[in-house]
Amino acid sequence: MRNFEDDPTLSDLLTPDQLQRLSNGLSALCRKPVEISENRAGDAVPVEFNLETVGWLSGGASDGEREAAAELVSFLMLFVAKYRLAANIHHDTTEASYAELQRQNEALRASEAKYRELSDQLQQKVDEQVDVIRQTQQELYESARLRSVGHLAAGVAHEINNPVGFISSNLRVARDYVQNLEPLLPETLENRELLEDFQDLLSESIEGTDRIASIVADLKTFSSIDQADNALCDLNSLLRSACHLVQTEHDHRLNITENLAELPRIPGHPSRLSQTLFNLLDNAARAVGDDGRILVRTLADNTGIQVIIQDNGCGIPETVRSQVFDAFFTTRPVGSGTGLGLTVARDTVRAHGGQLTLDSQEGAGTRVVVSLPVQQGS
Amino acid sequence: MPDFSPEDNKLALKVVFYGPALSGKTTNLMQLHSLLNPERKGELMVLETRDDRTLFFDMLPIGLRSHSGLDLRLKLYTVPGQVQHDSTRKAVLSRADGVVFVADSQVAQQDNNAIAFGNLEDNLDKVGLDIDTLPMVVQFNKRDLPAVVDEAELQARWAGTPWAPLAMASALQGTGVIETFQALLDRLYTGIDAEFDLAGKHSIDRSTFIGRLSASHGVDDA
Ligand SMILES: Nc1nc2c(ncn2[C@@H]2O[C@H](COP(=O)(O)OP(=O)(O)O)[C@@H](O)[C@H]2O)c(=O)[nH]1
Ligand SMILES: [Mg+2]
Repeated sequence: MRNFEDDPTLSDLLTPDQLQRLSNGLSALCRKPVEISENRAGDAVPVEFNLETVGWLSGGASDGEREAAAELVSFLMLFVAKYRLAANIHHDTTEASYAELQRQNEALRASEAKYRELSDQLQQKVDEQVDVIRQTQQELYESARLRSVGHLAAGVAHEINNPVGFISSNLRVARDYVQNLEPLLPETLENRELLEDFQDLLSESIEGTDRIASIVADLKTFSSIDQADNALCDLNSLLRSACHLVQTEHDHRLNITENLAELPRIPGHPSRLSQTLFNLLDNAARAVGDDGRILVRTLADNTGIQVIIQDNGCGIPETVRSQVFDAFFTTRPVGSGTGLGLTVARDTVRAHGGQLTLDSQEGAGTRVVVSLPVQQGS
Repeated sequence: MPDFSPEDNKLALKVVFYGPALSGKTTNLMQLHSLLNPERKGELMVLETRDDRTLFFDMLPIGLRSHSGLDLRLKLYTVPGQVQHDSTRKAVLSRADGVVFVADSQVAQQDNNAIAFGNLEDNLDKVGLDIDTLPMVVQFNKRDLPAVVDEAELQARWAGTPWAPLAMASALQGTGVIETFQALLDRLYTGIDAEFDLAGKHSIDRSTFIGRLSASHGVDDA
């Protein structure tokens, strides 16, 4: 584009029509016709504007006529050029202002986009923080519960273990004494029955103390009070303890079938895993009611191990299934449980590098599969 | 920047009269138009509004032709001083080879001078020119008025700048106008000669350059 200040040419200043009209007018004033053109002809004199020859005027009857006509044209050019210059600079400055406006607009849009992005990032950060807080809340809740169970278990184990121990050993000694008494007593039917009864009483009591001892052992396993936070875990033994405890909680009315394969030990957090298995079994127990079946299976291959807990209970309605992992969600009536069970279970499994999948059909039952890698983080 | 077209051996230079509104830029140009008698002088084009204020710019072309055939042109422009015409000022200022800053000497106008000078600095920057190297003369006009800042005080104030000494003028009375213009030509010559070898190639030395472009009526311009 030309600058507004570039020297104008004749055709910049006048259209061919205007030029023709000007020539006609001047011709009428002169004794012979004149012609204005951008090219120099034989007798032409220059038409000057701003020290610049913008055209040539030829024709006319004399030099004087030509010069006077050329001077008149120059005079006219001044006003035409004034307008042209004004129009050009107006055009230039308008364009420049518009370009500046567009640039500002662009900059504004860019900064708006930047702020929108920032606000999105902020929202995302807030969401992440909310997640962290929720997670921390869960863990707090869970660890408080585990701690109380752990304390209770530790207390019970401590309090009960000793008395059960000496009761159990006293009973065995007593049974020996009864045997020793047998030859010393007169051989009567009455005496024999008395002794046999006595033996049975002692045997049943010994059995009872054995059961107490095993419950105490389960509690100890479950709370893992004598284990480190990170240890090699025997999932089968954790599972057995959890089964016993769930039975205890449901008055031994549950029909649990255990089908446990040989498992490699996996590194993990024993008490959290116990809690997880307990939660899953407890869910199953609540789903089956009094006359259902719970099947507990473990499998292992070279990539990992699987724990499958399957029940033929009420199942989870389709509408609720997507929500079952939401913290605090529960399908059970208010007050009967916190719904945290599945969420905590899933989070715990994930924390161990594994996966928890849920497969449920309303009225037919639920199957939960916990997959855990043998080697974490690889 | 100088506009040289080798095909017609033409060198066009641009000088801009800058300054606050009503400081006398147009009057400077009108005086140059009537006082100067260079070899070649075009029409003074004044583009003003109805109330005599410069709307776009004023322009006066002058020129000379050297023995070597160099067609040397100088276009003198004024800018509109009013604040709202800043984009026009920028357009006129772009590609300038020299600037005459016309300040108003009246005591009451000193703030306006400073604002206009700041605006000149900004706009030079925007059009890619450097105020410290651009040939420039600062003129304090309206010396004929009573309430003006004392010359000694002005000269002292500007002494440490590249624009000392200041030019004093009364454009209305026609004094100091040509002297201002000559001072500008003097500063302009240095850069132009360095770039186009005016003295060597075209036998235009400094005094020829100044003398022939600022020749006034009644003075021999040879
Ligand atoms: N007293 C006095 N008035 C001046 C002088 N120069 C310009 N003026 C007046 O100041 C007013 C503005 O001048 P003008 O050249 O249009 O200013 P511009 O806006 O800078 O172009 C006019 O009324 C001029 O007559 C001067 O040297 N002395
Ligand atoms: Mg003016």
